[in-house]
Formats: sequence, structure tokens, C-alpha cells
Amino acid sequence: MQTLQTSPKASAWRIFWIFTSIGLQSFGGGASTTLLMQRYFIDKYQWITIDDFAYLWSLCQLAPGINLVGFTILVGKRVGGIAGIFGALIGLMVPSSLITCLLAAGFKEVQHLPVTQAVEKGVIPATAGIMLLVGLNFAFPQVKKAHTEGLLPLAITVVIILLATVAILAGVPVIIVLPAGGILGIFCFTRPLFLARKDRAQ
Amino acid sequence: MINPILYFLLFLKATVFSSGGFSNLPSLHQDLIAEGWANEADFTDSIAIGQVSPGPNGLWVISLGYLTFGYLGAGLALVAITIPPFFVLVVQRIFKRIEHQRWVAGLLRGISLVVASTSLTIFWLTGARAGSDWRSWLICAGAFALSLTKRVNILVILVLAGIAGYFIYR
Repeated sequence: MQTLQTSPKASAWRIFWIFTSIGLQSFGGGASTTLLMQRYFIDKYQWITIDDFAYLWSLCQLAPGINLVGFTILVGKRVGGIAGIFGALIGLMVPSSLITCLLAAGFKEVQHLPVTQAVEKGVIPATAGIMLLVGLNFAFPQVKKAHTEGLLPLAITVVIILLATVAILAGVPVIIVLPAGGILGIFCFTRPLFLARKDRAQ
Repeated sequence: MINPILYFLLFLKATVFSSGGFSNLPSLHQDLIAEGWANEADFTDSIAIGQVSPGPNGLWVISLGYLTFGYLGAGLALVAITIPPFFVLVVQRIFKRIEHQRWVAGLLRGISLVVASTSLTIFWLTGARAGSDWRSWLICAGAFALSLTKRVNILVILVLAGIAGYFIYR
């Protein structure tokens, strides 16, 4: 994990515009926002590595409120320091909130029109597809890492992902599944067993 | 009459004891209805608006603020949902202190796997809610494929999906 305090990579003003653009492009909720963040910060600007992205994202799960807001705070800080936090937050939240108010004002008028409902019925499954990609983007580095370590860690990784998915679908609150996954991770991935296996392999 | 300070504190309380975009709903629902500051329709409307509005899903609270208390309500809601996530800076500091312990890497790995699962469940629940209709799964697969190429703008994908919805379901 990077702990180095590096100099800001971008000005608060630039960060503000990037987050404004992310916020305004992501109609249909968090799936698009997250995918855009993955695209911008990992692929386009290469400010954050894919592993670091997953690390920061995991930290956000442990803070209250909307995870994306916590994540925006961490990314803003990483890229632009304290000023970056405010640039990022204001960019993500304020323009989107203004549009939300305008939509709320107009919503009552158009809500019951068949057109609105038809368009919404098209957009919802699309956000599901985008969310699938977001999930795979999170899972991929983990699976790849486990794959290089051997068959057992790979199997454990896949089993934990499946178990957690089934548990959440069965209605177990995420706030319980999350620490449970963390504890499973401690037992499965820090055991001397794997070190010994690696030593034998070398 | 709505008391702005109490109104703000109710939103803040709901966010402090929540994790994720919609988990502050039960608390807000209970409190605002008890105070008589919101009705059932305000909630269903703001959730629907949250689905179509830009930004994270959690911004449904902004429309709840707007519908119940105008621009002031939206502003108070915005501040209330922005403050609690700052706790993440404390979390980061704690992890920096302990990250050299051998078990921490395993802990984070476990959490990361659950994070991936969370996204997969959201995919499944959203997809299933859209109906077992094969056409909506087709839109889902199309959106997945288009976003996988990394060449197509997300907004374009969503607009295309909206147009598809218009022609299929109107």
C-alpha cells in the first residue's frame, strides 16, 4: 500500500471539473459513477493503481454514509491534498444536487407519462449491466493475485466471493458480511501455510 | 412548521447510522413521518427521482429534502449526507498505523472480496427488479458489452438504453 505523501497531482480546480463531469455523466446511480471513476483515475489519468483503488474503496466501506462520498474524499486527498477533497466533493455533489432538485420539481408532471416509465424501464437494466462490470473490475485483481499464488488461494478467493454474494442476497446485512469477510481473509490469507507453500515452490 | 435545526439533525443521524445509499431510509422514514414533515408519496417519489438523477444513488435524499422543505431542505440534506463520510479519513489513519501487521493484508483482502460481491448482488437485484423479461436482460448485456469496450461514453450507453426502453415498452 502506498503511504507516501506525494505532492498534489492536480489543482483543486481541475479536480473539481473532473468530478463535476463524473457526477453529471452518471445518470442512473452509483454504478456509472464508480465505473467512470475507475476509467478516469486508473486508465485515463493513471493517478491511482487498480490495487490502490480497491484499497481505498475497502476503507470507505468502514465509514458511515454513502460509500462514494467517502471514496471521493479519499481520492480528492490522494490527488490534490486538502484542497483536492473540497474540489472533488463540491464537483461531485453540488451540480448533481441542483439537477436533482430540478428533476424533483418537474417529476410530478412527467412521472405518470408512459414515455417516462418506458425510458426508465430501459435505463434500469443498463445500470445493472454497468454494475456487473464494476464488480468484475473489483474482483479481477484479487482473482489474478490469488491465481499467481496457487490453486488453493484461488479457490478460497472464489468461494469467499460466492459466499458473500449468497449471504447478501439471502438478506444478511452488508455491515455484518463485511467484517465476516475480513475475518475470513485474515484466517485464509495470513496463515503461515501459504508462506510455506511459496518457500517450497522457490 | 419545520424546525430547520431538528430537520438537519434527523438527516445527519440517519446518515451516521447508515452504510450505503439507501440504508438511511428507515430512520428518515420513521422520523419525518412522525414529525408530520413528509408523507409516503414524498419517499416513493424521491427514490424514483434518485434513480434517474445524476450522481450517486444516495442523492435521493436531496430530492427528499427538496420535496419536503424546498431548496433549504435540499441544502440541509446535502450537508447532512456529506459530513459523516469524512470519518473515512480517521479509518485511513488507523489503517496506516496497523498496515504493517501481517494480518491486515488478509483483512483487507477479505473486505475487497466482499466489496466485489456487493457489486455483484446490486447487479443481480437491479437486473431481477427490472423484470424477468428477456428484453431487459438483453439491454443489460448490451450495456455491459458496450462499457467493457471502454470506448463508449457512459452517458451514451444510458441514453441508448433509454431509447431502447422507449421503443420496447412504450
